[in-house]
Amino acid sequence: MAGRLLDMAVIRHEAIASNIANAETPGYRRVDVDPDFVRVLRTTQAKMAMPASELAASVVADQHARTVRPDGNSVEIENELLEMSRNTVEYDFLTDVVSSHIKHLRTAITGRNTS
Amino acid sequence: MDLIPGIEATASALGAQRTRLDIIAQNIANAHTTRGPDGQPYQRQTVSFESELLQQAGFTGPLHTVRVGAVAADKSPGERVYDPQHPDADAGGMVTMPNVNLAYEMVDLITASRAYEANLSVAKNSRQMALKALEIGR
Repeated sequence: MAGRLLDMAVIRHEAIASNIANAETPGYRRVDVDPDFVRVLRTTQAKMAMPASELAASVVADQHARTVRPDGNSVEIENELLEMSRNTVEYDFLTDVVSSHIKHLRTAITGRNTS
Repeated sequence: MDLIPGIEATASALGAQRTRLDIIAQNIANAHTTRGPDGQPYQRQTVSFESELLQQAGFTGPLHTVRVGAVAADKSPGERVYDPQHPDADAGGMVTMPNVNLAYEMVDLITASRAYEANLSVAKNSRQMALKALEIGR
């Protein structure tokens, strides 16, 4: 599960990088992780219906951007930078979660606290 | 998947913004050039950006890199100044100056360098994420 979320954080970072890179390209529409992914993730977690490994996030154009400049570009660079910091912290946290899972496994295997 | 996420889009944007900075530098340097190689006053150059779909294995969705679409001359006429002593003055003593407006160029310069900085901070974050991924399990 944490691994899936890590993947999603990487994909979101790619989307943000693409948005900031194209902040001055006329006609560019900002992209983000498919909102369906988050919804599907929630429902599957609630019902335990499907293993998390079958989920894959994808990137889609954001249809609900708040402002569109006259040149057709919908990137707000301040928001993207904030979003990037948030995403990076989230990613750091998730790597810690995965690390601690591995640490638990190692403890279970060896019977010693290896940390 | 790439080891360093988003680095292609960021790298392309850094390159594009640097081209823009170069062109702005050229405009400012030639703000008073009244005779170019073709004998005409210097014409301000403008840069336009295009986005290019990033093709990446195992990735679905519209991710875009940036490239410089065209560098074109600004065709608007330059200011005509009365200066009979000027070597490039015509018979009536009028000199055609380049159509470079320093105020516009400075604004463009700041915009371009800020955009460059924003992309640099993305690169820094990408690197931090990659290093953090390498730390998994330590």
